[in-house]
Amino acid sequence: MNVIELEKITKTYGTHKAVDDLSLHVPKGSIYGFIGPNGSGKTTTIRMIMNILYPDNGNIRLFGQELIGSRLDGVGYLPEERGLYKKMKVKELIKFHGELKGVKDLDQKADGWLKKFDLSKWADKKVETLSKGMSQKVQFIVTIIDEPDLIILDEPFSGLDPVNAEIIKEVILKLRDKGSTIIFSTHDMSVAEKMCDFIFMIYKGKKVLDGTLSSIQEKFGQDTLRVQTELGVSALEAINGIEKVNDFGQIQEVRMSPETNSQDVLMAIMEKTKVLKFELTSPSLNDIFIRIARPENNEDHE
Amino acid sequence: MNKVWILVKREYRAAVRTKGFIISLVMLPIFMGGGFAAFKIFEDKVDLTDRTVLVIDESGSVGQFLVDASKDRNANHITDAESGEKNQPAYYFELIEKEADFSNQKLQLSDRVRDKDIHAFVHIGANVFNPGADREASRIFYYAENSAMDRVKGWVSSNANSFIRQERVIALGIEQTEVENLFMWIDAEGMGLMKIDSKTGDVQDARRSSEVESFLVPYIMMLLIFMMIMMSAVPLLSAVMEEKGERIAEVLLGSVTPGQFMLGKVLGGLAVSLTTVSIYIAGGVFIVNKMDMGHMIPYDILPWFFLYLILAIIMFGSIMAALGSSCNDSKDAQNIQFPAMLPLLIPMFMLFPIIQNPLGSFATWVSLFPPFTPMLMLMRQATPVTLPMWQPIVGLIGVFLFTALSVWAGGRLFRSCIIMVGKRPKFGTMIKYIIKG
Repeated sequence: MNVIELEKITKTYGTHKAVDDLSLHVPKGSIYGFIGPNGSGKTTTIRMIMNILYPDNGNIRLFGQELIGSRLDGVGYLPEERGLYKKMKVKELIKFHGELKGVKDLDQKADGWLKKFDLSKWADKKVETLSKGMSQKVQFIVTIIDEPDLIILDEPFSGLDPVNAEIIKEVILKLRDKGSTIIFSTHDMSVAEKMCDFIFMIYKGKKVLDGTLSSIQEKFGQDTLRVQTELGVSALEAINGIEKVNDFGQIQEVRMSPETNSQDVLMAIMEKTKVLKFELTSPSLNDIFIRIARPENNEDHE
Repeated sequence: MNKVWILVKREYRAAVRTKGFIISLVMLPIFMGGGFAAFKIFEDKVDLTDRTVLVIDESGSVGQFLVDASKDRNANHITDAESGEKNQPAYYFELIEKEADFSNQKLQLSDRVRDKDIHAFVHIGANVFNPGADREASRIFYYAENSAMDRVKGWVSSNANSFIRQERVIALGIEQTEVENLFMWIDAEGMGLMKIDSKTGDVQDARRSSEVESFLVPYIMMLLIFMMIMMSAVPLLSAVMEEKGERIAEVLLGSVTPGQFMLGKVLGGLAVSLTTVSIYIAGGVFIVNKMDMGHMIPYDILPWFFLYLILAIIMFGSIMAALGSSCNDSKDAQNIQFPAMLPLLIPMFMLFPIIQNPLGSFATWVSLFPPFTPMLMLMRQATPVTLPMWQPIVGLIGVFLFTALSVWAGGRLFRSCIIMVGKRPKFGTMIKYIIKG
């Protein structure tokens, strides 16, 4: 069963098409990662799913229902830019949002989440006294206080230190295990690779990728080499068939041009230096993202 | 509706818990009641320092009359009849001769006033009984530190004139016993119209219609509505702008619709103003009754007051909230606030012509213009005149329809603008958003 169904939705601001003929189906219980460069239409798409913006054309169904001008309980939304009432006390604020979502046993639940995020002693402090990281955690609690069936998170990890990012990741995975469907947008490709069952990429308002990571990588084929040599990146200069080198210092990621044989490249490197590591692999999500979002780097795909 | 109620509760709590609310709630009654209390306190605290006044009299008899009158006053009118305690200062009037160098004499006397040796000095002209002969010589000058506000000057003026008029009349050959009747002034007392009590069917006495009542009651009613709109509806513009800027709006829009969000804010403001106004009215009624002026309270128009107040706050609140949603920073809000407040300010300038002629066609038509109706129609209803019954009813229907239109249009504009960033939409674009939705 699909929790979200977008059918050919379009949204235009003035003459700019922010979202163009976009279709997407998000199955229940999955984690769906939204990626795309800034201004590509991710937030507009999320706002349309949340019914905060209406599409100019196309249909949106949540849990099989078309929503116009109403809100469904059981949907948690964390917008990209966070905002909390600064003068309210932390627990009071969590309870206010919980009440809006129709949560029962609010006191108990609020205390439980505050404890989990190590915020218990801040419960009676005003929001304005919290650090940015603590505010982020409060904002996250507010989003998932009712353990909703659908959770939409716009950049949930931005601004969080690794410890707190880890806690939020754990909570997201636990909620998924309990049956929640999760959508999150991110610029952190490694997080998307590790956490998401499905990846969806939007670029200039259009869908350019949609599927599991392996199916996406399969589309791009095994055209990537991970190489470690004694000479480093200079060993890769002036070798035929190398289209682009991504230098990570110790390791270089090499994209081969189509029709290039990896063995020929290996031989050419070995003529120059000692090879410590040589691996033929699929491109990383980061590489795929860059290939699409910087078309001058590769005109062959899409 | 439950979500709107939760938003209203939050708005209400957030507003009434602020120091600003408590201060404004307490300060106004203090100003209202405090003025009265201060008046009562200071009324009894008259400065009892005796006053010595020197009189240079060229008329021949007015000065002597003042000396005698002051002696009579000191003997009979400066103590409390029951307690016998002195409650007024004594006035000691003394006659002195006019010197040849009159300017120098006045200068020396002025120095004595400055040195607090005497309170004042008076110069009475020679021709006060016959001013037509020589205008300059028929004047009375009172010299003191603060002569304009001096109570002794009033006493001098009143006693001197009373004596002068009496002397003039006697000079015409009229008996002294007739003089008092001759000068008895009888005011025409303004009364309201007779009416039948709707409960008992009895004819009610005409209410005394004082100038204070004709002006003060409508003025206070209008001012209360104006203040409540200023306190509850106008701040919604900047409040919504801030919540939009701080991204609180978008977080809330995950749980509530824009319509519920706007309604929550407007009704929250309404709840705050109803609390405030109820306290003010209860306090006002208490104070007015304490002042034995309870008859001035127009209980019959209080239901109209609350009806207009509720509709006006919803009307202006929706407009302000919607306009606030179109602003991105405080500069935007400042630019739009003044034009948005014009429908509130214009009726304030119409106050006097309408109070002077509440039944005139100008008053009738402007009070039927829906944004003005809550203030102007109410003000007309609060005057002692009786309005044709159709006018408040048509006014109310107009306000109701205009309020519904404001909520509808405000809601559509609010929904379009609340998460929009960048340049504030122009007036034409806003109209497009309202029509397109």
